[in-house]
Amino acid sequence: MRSVFFLLVALLAACGAPEPPLVVSELEITRPMPGMRMSAGFLVIANNTNEETRITHVTSPQFEAVEIHETTVTDGISRMRELDTLVVPGRTSVVLERGGKHLMLMRPQDLQDSVTLQFFSGDLPVLSVDYSFPKDEPK
Amino acid sequence: MNPKQFIIAIVLGLALAAGTFLALRMQVPSAPEFALVLPAPNPVPEFSLEDQHGLPIDQTVFEGQWDLVFFGFTHCPDICPTTLQVLSAAKAALQEKGQSPLPRIVLVSVDPERDTPDVLGQYVDYFGEGNLGITGTLDEVSKLTSGLGIYFEKQPADGENYAVDHSAAVLVINPDGGFGALFSGPHIVENFVHDLPIIMGGS
Repeated sequence: MRSVFFLLVALLAACGAPEPPLVVSELEITRPMPGMRMSAGFLVIANNTNEETRITHVTSPQFEAVEIHETTVTDGISRMRELDTLVVPGRTSVVLERGGKHLMLMRPQDLQDSVTLQFFSGDLPVLSVDYSFPKDEPK
Repeated sequence: MNPKQFIIAIVLGLALAAGTFLALRMQVPSAPEFALVLPAPNPVPEFSLEDQHGLPIDQTVFEGQWDLVFFGFTHCPDICPTTLQVLSAAKAALQEKGQSPLPRIVLVSVDPERDTPDVLGQYVDYFGEGNLGITGTLDEVSKLTSGLGIYFEKQPADGENYAVDHSAAVLVINPDGGFGALFSGPHIVENFVHDLPIIMGGS
């Protein structure tokens, strides 16, 4: 009995904690520039499952609206468009970066030192992340 | 000529050839590698707009200094601040290298509807001292952009939440008010630091 118990413990330890389905890295949110009521968010979302995740909208208590945008530069013309859905394929990472897909955060509400972002797939919350502005960054 | 004199003559000859080669090499300016330099500068077209202080300006505002001119808008969260950061960093790097004079950074708003002088002023000041913001009526902005081959178009949207498509290029305007070179995107600090001294030194 005792050896079975240790075997179970060993198996659980080998498995480790369950991997979260979506993981965010390289998160950066810019502060709104002076006089501006909008800023941008950049991050990498890794999907650790085999199924694609379709992020349909993002909310934040610190901003009245958050939209998923994509900037493209084609033939020397810069264009920015809102995306209806951000698809994160299974076992793949999607990069939201300057000059590409990014979050547009509009109309800040009592913005202090941190921002919380909540990602949804339809009505289902799929991810929540917190970001703290660097302490040396001008407010 | 004895052997010793012969050897001295050979050494002196080689030294002279090497010196001449190096002198010639140093005199030949390297060419811009990233900017497109126009065969002849095009004068900036006539326009009547405002700077970020609300003061009236015309095409003569481009005379007397080198300008790096970008066309964008303050409600652009991505390409516009990134480009202005690159230009600001390039200017700082040029200053570090001892470049003189330094170019001025100019943002011409392609969204004059939202970019009042006050809004534009706070925006351009964020990227450093001495920057120039230009705004005004849509018609006058169009005179300036069309004369320089710059495209922009407001996109339909509800209310104030609209985007403006626009050329991503940075233009170089010489102290005579002539548009002489153009950097296409993506904009990289090192490209400006390499090419600008050549462009500005070649006038």
